[in-house]
Amino acid sequence: MPKALVIDPAVTRQRDSLAVPPIPVHAYDVPFADALTLHGAETLRDALRHMVLIREFESMLASFKATGAYRGVDYAYRGPAHLSIGQEGAAVGAALALAPEDYTFGSHRSHGEFLAKGLGAIARLPEAELDGIMARQDGGRLREAAETAVAGEGRALAETFLMLGFLAEIFMRATGFNGGMGGSMHAFFPPLGCYPNNAIVGASAGIATGAALRRRLAGEAGICVAHAGDGATGCGPVWEAMNFAAMGQLSTLWEAPFDGGLPVLFFFTNNFYAMGGQTSGETMGWDRLSRIGAGVAPNALHAETVDGTDVLAVADAVARKRALLVDRQGPALLDVECYRISGHSTTDANAYRSRDELKLWEAHDPIARLATSLIDAGALAEDGLAALEEEAGRRIEAVTRAAVDEALSPSVDIVAHPVLIGDLMFSGGETPVPDAPSTLTAPREASAALRKLARKSRAGRDADGAPLSPMRAITLRDGLTEAILDRMERDPRLAAWGEELREWGGAFGVTRGLSDVLPYHRLFNAPISEAAIVATAIGHAMAGGRSMVELMYADFIGRAGDEIFNQLAKWQAMSAGQLKLPVVLRASVGSKYGAQHSQDWSALIAHIPGLKVIYPATPYDAKGLMASALASDDPVVVFESQRLYDRVEQFRHAVPAESYTLPLGVPEVKREGRDVTVLTIGPSLYPALDAARDLAALGVAAEVIDARSLVPFDYAPVLASVARTGHLLVVSEASERGSMAQTLAATVTRHGFASLKAAPIVLGAPNWIVPGAEMETTYFPQAHDIVDAVTAEFYPDRKPNRRGVRDWDGLSLARRGL
Amino acid sequence: MAQSVTVLLVPQLGTEVTEAEITEWLMADGEPVEAGEPVVNISTTKMAMDLEAPASGRLKIVMEEGEIAKVGDTLAEIS
Repeated sequence: MPKALVIDPAVTRQRDSLAVPPIPVHAYDVPFADALTLHGAETLRDALRHMVLIREFESMLASFKATGAYRGVDYAYRGPAHLSIGQEGAAVGAALALAPEDYTFGSHRSHGEFLAKGLGAIARLPEAELDGIMARQDGGRLREAAETAVAGEGRALAETFLMLGFLAEIFMRATGFNGGMGGSMHAFFPPLGCYPNNAIVGASAGIATGAALRRRLAGEAGICVAHAGDGATGCGPVWEAMNFAAMGQLSTLWEAPFDGGLPVLFFFTNNFYAMGGQTSGETMGWDRLSRIGAGVAPNALHAETVDGTDVLAVADAVARKRALLVDRQGPALLDVECYRISGHSTTDANAYRSRDELKLWEAHDPIARLATSLIDAGALAEDGLAALEEEAGRRIEAVTRAAVDEALSPSVDIVAHPVLIGDLMFSGGETPVPDAPSTLTAPREASAALRKLARKSRAGRDADGAPLSPMRAITLRDGLTEAILDRMERDPRLAAWGEELREWGGAFGVTRGLSDVLPYHRLFNAPISEAAIVATAIGHAMAGGRSMVELMYADFIGRAGDEIFNQLAKWQAMSAGQLKLPVVLRASVGSKYGAQHSQDWSALIAHIPGLKVIYPATPYDAKGLMASALASDDPVVVFESQRLYDRVEQFRHAVPAESYTLPLGVPEVKREGRDVTVLTIGPSLYPALDAARDLAALGVAAEVIDARSLVPFDYAPVLASVARTGHLLVVSEASERGSMAQTLAATVTRHGFASLKAAPIVLGAPNWIVPGAEMETTYFPQAHDIVDAVTAEFYPDRKPNRRGVRDWDGLSLARRGL
Repeated sequence: MAQSVTVLLVPQLGTEVTEAEITEWLMADGEPVEAGEPVVNISTTKMAMDLEAPASGRLKIVMEEGEIAKVGDTLAEIS
């Protein structure tokens, strides 16, 4: 879209053939003696020790799952155990080349990745810094438990601290790194660069890419590693993330020092199986995983296949890729081949592979391989490996005893604190607009679109009270634009992206004019990659930024399902509140285009715990609520009705030009009445107001309350209203079944039952597809439907007004699935 | 011989659009313009677009930035 990039047919139509750069496969050929000189014997013995510790740690988990005991400790571990026994060389090799400040984002099979990164950082960080990290964690409680478990200090203590914090987390103890809210597949410990492991295959790719974006924008030195298995190459969001990290604009349009491909390494631990499906040869099209780099960028993402059973080959490759990333030539891809000796999980009966195959790989154990090389080079005693194994057994046993000890590693006590997990869902924190200098690259007056905005009437009506046209007065769209611009101007941590967000101003013009005053790295056009748009927003926020992203149509939420439902909604609680996700996700609710572009999915989002949800219906509310959403340290999903973008203000005299916030979660009475309470969600406000006028003519005074927010929601104004009116009608454009409107009605019934003179009514959309523009009025509740409902159900003595089509039998429809 | 004058009109911008705002003149009043050259940016509530000079000549601006024009109104004359 940028006019600076001309698509010249003389260039695009030239005869040509594409060449793919060579993709090295097992090219590492450094004599062991040279590697020994490079790393030093001490470091390589440490690498061996780390692999041994990881294997013993996972063997302990395997033993608990299989027998309920390990070295005399009885424990019924009920959680998952996705083990990586046999793959230790990949994790430790990578950690050997990573700096403490680098971030790793794990896969679901991440015990090794987590421990390797943590142990690697402990080996490199100054001891004083390690002491500080241990002192700050949970008020020093974990450090004390570690000291009690194994006598020691300095790095040795830090290692015990790491293993105990991790195991306590796996056992869901309160002293675990995530406070017991994460477990085996979700552990994290940022002070050592261990960002979250992820139970969803491939999910770390997009999150790591977003974190890499934040690190670039913040001028930080470290890189991000996205761990995934070979099976993740079958996941669309992984491809979306790789493309996002390699977007052309990073080199063609972004200005220094923010330019260049993102510093993220896609590290595929390729164990040849996606659970039981064999990737190469069965479920994937590629023969070598590294080949896929060629499908993403001209440099093939610097892809290589390396031997994951050789710590030194992996360390060599990661060091080279890291240098490329630091040099702004990212992203990079590594296909790290290794073999999982253990099953996928404890229920794995190896039905998909033969004993012969397992035997073939026994000769390629990464631990035996490095030990043999060290012994052959005289850098390890003949019985050195056995000694390390014996020591690892003793340490892991001590850590295990401490992790199952209620005094040292107490369980999470939900009985004593029934809302403990609930309290972790939202921080409730707000960061006001910083009192910082403007970050705009040009004054607002330099933008024709922003000058146009400044010329508009702040009031929605003229002197005679007649509504002004949306060309002349501030609209709901303009309210959103102003709130976004106010925050973007003063908060350099906030960046925004989405499809057509820049020159076009978003498909519906909400960000129009912003590209005149904001640089590319603050506001950019994203690929049509909803999963990556949301995943990168999460990673960007997780790493210290603030994100505002747009999905164009709410109907495209499905394309970012995992990212919204499993990642955005859950990471604050899964980190026990240690991670903050200040992400605003904007989604417009369509109209006129039929089933796949017009559905109100606000009820679906409100159903998922962990997301705040707002749906403003007036310019004043839109500006104030958007400002609050952008100030919120919690994720907020903003629904914007396309039918309301052109609405001018009609409830308040004017929309203030200066910035202001409105509290999330507070419904507002938009019209007072004594006979019936009509609670509306989003655009239903306007037909409800029209209906209120019609009902007034019938002698029924309707009170209209605009929900404004769905999560959180303060019922007090609604219950107070129902106490006066005795009747409740909830109106929404979402399909009725399982909707937020039903929840509102049920909750008011439960808590306001004594006030009610009749059962509340829910008037939503029917449980079928949204029809096209020609039939929309038969689908979304109209003013006459509201009048019908009120007169037929609450005031049957008044003249019924059956002009709608909603004269159906709900129970009969339900039997048919409607 | 009378000088020929070509008018620049607000075009039909879709069936639902009746008016547009002159957001920015890209050329100054009295400036010579070439046919096909973008001279003004106009916008509706949903979209913005550049309009091209329908002829070559000298631009005479009729409606100023910030004014709201109806479809068919004359924005400028080119003579």
